[in-house]
Amino acid sequence: MAEQVVFHPDILCIPEGGEKPYLIAYKCSCGSAWFPKLPFCPNCWSDKLEPMPLSRTGKLYTYTIVAIPQPGLQAPLAYGFVNFPEGVSVCAQIDVQGDLETIQKALHIDMDVEVAAGVIRKDKDGNETISYRFKPI
Amino acid sequence: MNDREVYIIGAGMTQLYRKAPMPLDELGRQAIFAAVKDAGINFKEIGSVTVGNMGGLSGAICIGQRIACSLGLGGVPMINVESACSSGAMAVNKAVEHVASGKCDVALAVGVEHLSSVRGSGTAFAPDSRDPEGLQGATMPGIYAMRTRRYMHEFGATLEDMALVAVKNRRHAMNNPYSSFRTPITVEEVVNARMVADPLTLLMSCPNADGGASVVVATKEVAQRLGKKLVKVAASHITSGIFKNSFRDFTEMEITIRGAKESYEEAGLGPDDISMVECHDAFVIGEVLYLEAMGFCKHGEAIPFLKSGQSDYGGKVVFSPRGGLLSCGHPTGCSGCAQIVEATWQLRGEAGDRQVPGCKAALTHVTGGGVYGLDNAACTIHILTN
Ligand SMILES: [Zn+2]
Repeated sequence: MAEQVVFHPDILCIPEGGEKPYLIAYKCSCGSAWFPKLPFCPNCWSDKLEPMPLSRTGKLYTYTIVAIPQPGLQAPLAYGFVNFPEGVSVCAQIDVQGDLETIQKALHIDMDVEVAAGVIRKDKDGNETISYRFKPI
Repeated sequence: MNDREVYIIGAGMTQLYRKAPMPLDELGRQAIFAAVKDAGINFKEIGSVTVGNMGGLSGAICIGQRIACSLGLGGVPMINVESACSSGAMAVNKAVEHVASGKCDVALAVGVEHLSSVRGSGTAFAPDSRDPEGLQGATMPGIYAMRTRRYMHEFGATLEDMALVAVKNRRHAMNNPYSSFRTPITVEEVVNARMVADPLTLLMSCPNADGGASVVVATKEVAQRLGKKLVKVAASHITSGIFKNSFRDFTEMEITIRGAKESYEEAGLGPDDISMVECHDAFVIGEVLYLEAMGFCKHGEAIPFLKSGQSDYGGKVVFSPRGGLLSCGHPTGCSGCAQIVEATWQLRGEAGDRQVPGCKAALTHVTGGGVYGLDNAACTIHILTN
């Protein structure tokens, strides 16, 4: 029986009421913010890291569309780094369907993207991993 | 700390094969044999052996002992080191330390990799799937493709500009009998080759290869006794990445900027003194970023530097005279050591048709490893002088 696993429950919030999902970074009392959650702040070794919800949208800093993906993933696959206003940079897949050319046309540097939840990989038994992705607005 | 001066007394390597006709251990033994014969010493003088191999790929444990003990080299400290593509250069660093610190007078390093037996073609190196970027599907070509795209965006570079690196390095490899990638290529062919990770094509990426490379290092007394042209290790430097997940500048290679600066200080030299560089050009963007990171030109000025021939024969510094990773292929654990073998031959004036005229100082550079939050996991730099 194939299962769905939400891989990142402590950094991805999918609200029950149907509101849109968002990411959670962790803020240290020394002022630095980390994503995902780390056991200790690499800056001061404090373990008192407070959850800090990130904005629902960020700017696409750079991206690629891979033709040769990791084993088990489908090509063409777009992913990129998104800079959030809170000062955190996150890498994730970008949800655009189609062939290479279609995806190329849909993406450009510095465009706004929003956080979405979706299947990021399937194992050979069909079990799906659900995590965060980005979606062009 | 009063370290002793260290010299390279022997250098040797195997052919870099698309698919080696012998196993990993044999590649390692052939490289060691070539380096020790080149040094002209008795193998019993070797006081330590360090082996660089990209762990986990071969699945073998104690690979160094498997390679070297049947050559009669056992009974001395034998160390296996791993940091992805930096492994072979790290092995040389350990050998240098053993001589510098006085642990022994002669030390041997070998870097070896048999990629064709462990990796199918059409696969890409990926960060560990437990790290958050790896889980999302990030691959090494993908990470360098993202650097390329941002660089093009910020500095107006074109794909044709990027392709010039691949064309130049292929032209250099045509004079390198150790390379298996010696057919000339054009900018048009590079740009139109099969896409790997948009915008990087197959010919903008280093091919897989198999090979072994080895160097023998020793004290000045031993080097002088042997009577070969002296090649001094002016800097042997390792550093690691600094974790960061705030905004990162993908057009700057922080770890290499820092590593190069510290290496120049160690050698008492600067970019103006360097005659040639073998850098980690796993993808064309590598040479572009490293020209800037190593201080040969200012940030954002690598493309005009490259286009005016300043990183070629006759220019300010020759980048990748042996063809680089792009045209020698990249036997990961071997490459860092193979670069040092090339630098040694160039400094002795033994590099044949690809000799860099008046070669006085050579810099070799390999980074290694995609780890979440780091530019690169490792960066190993050597500066050799004659
Ligand atoms: Zn802190």
